[in-house]
Amino acid sequence: THFLSHSLQAKMSRPVQARRLEGIDKNIWVEFVKLAATYSKVNLGQGFPDFPPPDFLTEALTRALGGGNHMLHQYTRAFGHPPLVKVLAQFFEKLLGRDLDPMTNVMVTVGAYQALFCCFQALVDEGDEVIIIEPFFDCYEPMVKMAGGTPVFVPLRPNPPKDGKLMSSADWQLDPAELASKFSERTKAIVLNSPNNPLGKVFSHGELGLIAELCVKHDVLCISDEVYEWLVYDGKQHTRIASLPGMWDRTVIIGSAGKTFSATGWKVGWAVGPDRLLQHLRTVHQNSVYHCATIAQEAVAQGFQRELMLYGKPESYFVQLPKELQQKRDWLVQSLDGVGMKPIIPEGTYFLVADISPFKSDVPDVPNSDEPYDSRFAKWMVKNKGLAAIPLSAFYSEAHKNNYTNFIRFCFAKEEATLKAASDILQKWKQEKNSS
Amino acid sequence: VEFTKVAADPSIVNLGQGLPDISPPSYVKEELAKVAAVDRLNQYTRGFGHPSLVKALSQVYEKVCGRKIDPLTDILVTVGAYGSLFSTIQALIEEGDEVIIIEPFYDCYEPMVKMAGAKPVFIPLRCKNDGNSASSADWVLDPAELANKFNSKTKAIILNTPHNPIGKVFTLEELQVIADLCIKHDTLCISDEVYEWLVYKGNKHIKIATLPGMWERTVTIGSAGKTYSVTGWKLGWSIGPEYLIKHLQVVHQNTLYTCPTPLQEALAQAFWMDYKRMDDPDCYFYSLSRELESKRDRMAQLLKEAGLKPVIPDGGYFMIVDVSTLNVDLSDVDEKQPYDYKFVKWMIASKKLSAIPLSAFCGLETKKQFEKYIRFCFIK
Repeated sequence: THFLSHSLQAKMSRPVQARRLEGIDKNIWVEFVKLAATYSKVNLGQGFPDFPPPDFLTEALTRALGGGNHMLHQYTRAFGHPPLVKVLAQFFEKLLGRDLDPMTNVMVTVGAYQALFCCFQALVDEGDEVIIIEPFFDCYEPMVKMAGGTPVFVPLRPNPPKDGKLMSSADWQLDPAELASKFSERTKAIVLNSPNNPLGKVFSHGELGLIAELCVKHDVLCISDEVYEWLVYDGKQHTRIASLPGMWDRTVIIGSAGKTFSATGWKVGWAVGPDRLLQHLRTVHQNSVYHCATIAQEAVAQGFQRELMLYGKPESYFVQLPKELQQKRDWLVQSLDGVGMKPIIPEGTYFLVADISPFKSDVPDVPNSDEPYDSRFAKWMVKNKGLAAIPLSAFYSEAHKNNYTNFIRFCFAKEEATLKAASDILQKWKQEKNSS
Repeated sequence: VEFTKVAADPSIVNLGQGLPDISPPSYVKEELAKVAAVDRLNQYTRGFGHPSLVKALSQVYEKVCGRKIDPLTDILVTVGAYGSLFSTIQALIEEGDEVIIIEPFYDCYEPMVKMAGAKPVFIPLRCKNDGNSASSADWVLDPAELANKFNSKTKAIILNTPHNPIGKVFTLEELQVIADLCIKHDTLCISDEVYEWLVYKGNKHIKIATLPGMWERTVTIGSAGKTYSVTGWKLGWSIGPEYLIKHLQVVHQNTLYTCPTPLQEALAQAFWMDYKRMDDPDCYFYSLSRELESKRDRMAQLLKEAGLKPVIPDGGYFMIVDVSTLNVDLSDVDEKQPYDYKFVKWMIASKKLSAIPLSAFCGLETKKQFEKYIRFCFIK
């Protein structure tokens, strides 16, 4: 018939995508990962180690594959492979000092990323406000929006030390009155990320106490992203907000095998919390991915079983990894300071943020540019110096992207050779500037 | 979720849940073992799909579809076909939309459509021979009834061929009826083709996306779990035109961002091996269906000997069975449950055999139509 021949190659003529995608289509990583892949000689950008996971983890995978149990290639329990949820429950019982049921208090997800997604989908509705502390891991904002919620931002503010020493991530703090003012009757949840990406801040017991009080006072949930929980330096303690009074029942704790075991490509994460909250995460999970890959869960379970036995001992990976990373942190801090970039010394995570002001002359300001200065600087740096890093504005809401123009985030979970190569690039760059 | 628990008892023969208990081909397992030794494959890969995997998928499907498929823009790798269904529905369906679902249906379609705020509109497959079905081909859509389900609110129709649970392989004529309606009403087609390689003698799997006017309005979904008997790898993919796939990619970047690297790399290697022998009968895509055909026939034989009436599937690895022939009286059991639910529970308890009741795959109003059937899985 006539109309058929007209529309034979026609696309859908009406708007095809759902409105929930509005405003969440841009993603900084897609662009910066491509740039790094194309131009970088030294990649300190995206947050993943360039050293391998520990032998005991890859050996666990090899053992599982060689073991002859071919059912490991088939579906396992949807809410988490039994050996994994069991050992996670045991581990977190120890850490939180309370009894946990592996079947109802733990859920395994495809990376911590999917655990975050389940939280927002399960717990946030249209009309809800969600407090996000800036700077923040960039996915929180689009996830809140996709769930129909409204993000409400509150900044960490830098209080530089008076003696001219390098700043620490501890010097970036919430203003208690400002924080309190963000809580309204529409506030459904606050997202806490400690240790914090990108600054590396490890929230103190006192700071967490403040947040907890407000959550209890306003009956607000806490989504606690603790993926860097083991990466804490200088003898600092990672405090779990769920262990504070009144908080267990209103908190979902999120963790990551990728960060815990330096295997980001395995995409195994988890949510821990009270059944009354996790039951809703389970509903989202069973209607979105349903199962997570079995064999990766099996190997991660074995990794945790080893760590449970070695907990607190010097051979524990959770003791060794932060020790190694602290050295790398100090190395990178020195390299950056040595060329005049001012690093903010992170208390945790494998990121640090540095003020690149002395190098700004290489990338002239473009007035009225849509793009934040630090983003242009980072792009210029990877293209011209082969050094990849991420602009701090990536971790701010649209309205606040120009609040800080001079900061770049570096990842130091890298082999010595990589960090040395980075240092060489920086040295050469400084020399070029001195001689020009 | 409900029935997995019941059948977790090892003394029960589980023919319920659709997972193979046969081993994946050895080269697939070997590829994963090889990959485990490569350091950089333990870290993040490209979000929308590991480069070597999307490349392999594009080659395989270019051959099958006879058209160019761009690995970076026309493909998204997801956590199982389940993840593809979710990404597609979240990307393209919203409040105010209607989505046509053919009954019986893989049970996640309905909650996923509802979660997107849309309204599921059901249409049943009906048995041609007045309830006397010997083959999955006996189950057909009434074209007039189908046409009536389309209106200006219809955003998409979900097609599943080969079909779970019946095993029907939609013919070219049947697909043309659906395609004509999609084009006429400017509707999308979400084509769940996870069992695409599992078609038995005398049948051909046709991709609705290859029909005229359909590529631009179809998202086709596939599954590594079903292709390679590795359901636990949870890798699937969506293939379609860039202007649709880009929205699925947006959902993906806001839900889980990347799929596991080592599994994608191993899968890519397995695909390359089979791509090279796609003209060879030993290719796993064909050898698996030959293996399953004999299992299908064996299971049908056993069921008939037990006095049951199997509906022989033309594709897939499920078989539905009419249990009314046994006349098991369950009227004293909880009346509110459909007959097939009660039958399965009785069968688990008294015969130590599990299956899935067919009414689990139907909307509320059609449950009565299908309650004399249960579904067996024969990839065992």
